[in-house]
Amino acid sequence: MNEIIQSSLSLLWPELTLTVTFILTLFSQFALRKAPMHSGYVALAGFLLAFLLLGTQGGSDASVFGVMLAVDPFAVFFKYLIIISGILVLGFSLQSEEIRNNAEHAGEYFAFLTSMTLGMFLMAGASNLLMMYLSIELVSLSSYVLSGYLRNVERSNEAALKYVIFGAVSSGLMLYGISLIYGLTGALDIYSMRDVLATGAVMPGSWAFATLVAAVILIIGGFGYKISAVPFHYWTPDVYEGAPITITAYLSVASKAAGFAIMIRFFKVAFLNTVSADGAWEVLAGMNWELIIAVISVLTMTLGNLVALWQDNLKRMLAYSSIAHAGYMLMGLVVATDNGIAAIMVYFVMYLIMNLGAFYVVMVVAQKTGSEDIDDYRGLAYRAPWVAGAMAIFLVSLTGLPPTAGFIGKLWIFAAVLSKPGFVWLAIIGVINSVISLYYYARVFRNMYLRQGDEEKAQPILFGSRTIAGSLIFAVPTIVFGLYFGPILEWAKNSVTLFLR
Amino acid sequence: MLLEYLPLVLVLAVSLIFGIVATNASWLFGPRRPDPEKLSTYESGMTPVRTARQRFSVRFYMVAMLFIVFDIEVVFMYPWAVRFKDLGWFGFWEMLVFVGILMVGYGYIVKKGALEWD
Amino acid sequence: MELTDIIFYIFALVTIGSAMIVVFSRNLVYSAFSLMFTFLGVAGLYVLLLADFLAVTQLMIYVGGILVLMIFGVMLTHRVVNVEISSGAMRVIPATIVVGVFLGTLLLVLTRTKWMVMEGSPDVIGTTSMIGTALVTDYLLPFEVSGVVLLVAIVAAAFMARKR
Repeated sequence: MNEIIQSSLSLLWPELTLTVTFILTLFSQFALRKAPMHSGYVALAGFLLAFLLLGTQGGSDASVFGVMLAVDPFAVFFKYLIIISGILVLGFSLQSEEIRNNAEHAGEYFAFLTSMTLGMFLMAGASNLLMMYLSIELVSLSSYVLSGYLRNVERSNEAALKYVIFGAVSSGLMLYGISLIYGLTGALDIYSMRDVLATGAVMPGSWAFATLVAAVILIIGGFGYKISAVPFHYWTPDVYEGAPITITAYLSVASKAAGFAIMIRFFKVAFLNTVSADGAWEVLAGMNWELIIAVISVLTMTLGNLVALWQDNLKRMLAYSSIAHAGYMLMGLVVATDNGIAAIMVYFVMYLIMNLGAFYVVMVVAQKTGSEDIDDYRGLAYRAPWVAGAMAIFLVSLTGLPPTAGFIGKLWIFAAVLSKPGFVWLAIIGVINSVISLYYYARVFRNMYLRQGDEEKAQPILFGSRTIAGSLIFAVPTIVFGLYFGPILEWAKNSVTLFLR
Repeated sequence: MLLEYLPLVLVLAVSLIFGIVATNASWLFGPRRPDPEKLSTYESGMTPVRTARQRFSVRFYMVAMLFIVFDIEVVFMYPWAVRFKDLGWFGFWEMLVFVGILMVGYGYIVKKGALEWD
Repeated sequence: MELTDIIFYIFALVTIGSAMIVVFSRNLVYSAFSLMFTFLGVAGLYVLLLADFLAVTQLMIYVGGILVLMIFGVMLTHRVVNVEISSGAMRVIPATIVVGVFLGTLLLVLTRTKWMVMEGSPDVIGTTSMIGTALVTDYLLPFEVSGVVLLVAIVAAAFMARKR
């Protein structure tokens, strides 16, 4: 037992670092009473250390503490995404006036950001239903508090309350699903679950199979809530609108990445027979879950896009657009091949850059103009050409047009879908949706470039060089990765390996 | 095997019966001479002031929430304590880590002054 | 019908009956107190399933802690009795259909399914020591992670109840 613990802990340096960072950040506020925002630098140091220590997990294909937590290339990939977006969001937060104006609790703010990141790290590797539940709870608990951070803003309180209520319902559904699966297979870790299913204990056509389907749908409730897939998306617009924008950005990228990681791991491992040489998954007889995911994918992207058309608040519009993007990414899971997963991973890298960039621009513009309304973006191109230019790049990329990162992401997803026979209809729906999304992204674009603001709103907005540099950090890669994406593709393809025991 | 719960059932039954009998016996046998003093709300011999149905301070809520968290901690400790000797030092250190994590939380709320009633 | 069956039905009746009062009572205080009997009934069902530790946990945490918290929560609000539940019954028909379909599916599935039966019966002496061993061996990681979750919960509780 001692050796197990030692060898397990030696693979968990980033997680341990984040745990210690949480405690240090929390207590740093007592030493930094005069400058509470400096707690952010404590957290930043911890995040950077965790980022470096992630290198120690590279190349490992193992599971620690029995088979509780997989440390494999797939998990490490998502952990990199999470920690990079974590570092960027910490950077946002240090610049954010919303947070500065409530700086007396900044210690807690940065501490919860750390615990949320820790939870997402655990989600990326969790391979036991119990660990899955616990890690999701850790993330949820932290994000509930963070979305209600702005105590004196009514929207923020509303966001937190709605988030808690919907969160409680989905964890309840998920726990119920877990209990059904335990009753059917007597297993909590997904490897034993697969072994039991492989013995034919649950035959298609039997009542036990119906139970399994019900249980899987209930568990999707838990995952779908994290990635805001329809019909578990209800919390998304209100929370994204009400939460501090830094948290919105983090939820829309990192939390979603962790949700996808946990969902992919569950579906790949629990129902897998073998992986063929070309990376196609051979699913256990009768356990075809692809159609369930395909339906959710279609619902998610269609609803996200259609409702986004009517939004006047840019934050809320981006919330619906992030729902739609989750729908596109789910198409990669429907394919059930390693290629599909690699496509999701590529998409996520691109999505991280363009979405964080868009939220960054919304944040800095709101800090100058005090508004997040799309109408108040009129004439922005003349008032603040650099920032508006960056925003235009993000919008083009979010639509998925060349030569931007978003185009590459979509390209690989659609290529993966078309490689699967019988799912051409899904690709067609995806393309139609992309066209719909063009309309609402273009609306912001049109407001920025083709319309003049009111007289009193015609003065140039002066952004500091830090802000312009900040938006370029996102805008430049959005273009660069649209033209030169070889390394990312390579990285994703090398990281599809899941620990399969 | 469920017979082991017989003492528990007996205690429950006795307390239930005692409660019913004791409250109804006075109603059955006692003389009834009501006066305003007797009919007023019983508050440990003090004259009642104000209505009992008033808002509580949010601090009660705070204390109750902290109570639950530490309640859960004790629930985790109990099965470990049952097997303490078999699990040995090894289990001891593991439990110490667990308690240590929660003591961090305790240190935080003390330092933050969340338990001060001012 | 054996004695255990009778006991089961008593507990089931207590659980379901009090749960219905929780849902249908217009008075929050009644609902909260009725919930106590729901928890007690469930604890009784756990005992019948030979999950004695779970039953004690249920009493300690739910009856001893969470219920008290709920009653505090009710008392924190302005008017304690006759609180108007503003979101009354809405969209009764669709809700009934959805809940009915859900209930029907689950009932069918639960009664017809052949569940996995574990070899051997649980230790009559009790599950506590088994749980104790599992906590510090096989389930060490979830155990410590739940410590972290509780830590975050403590901080979050203190944070949410902070002064304005």
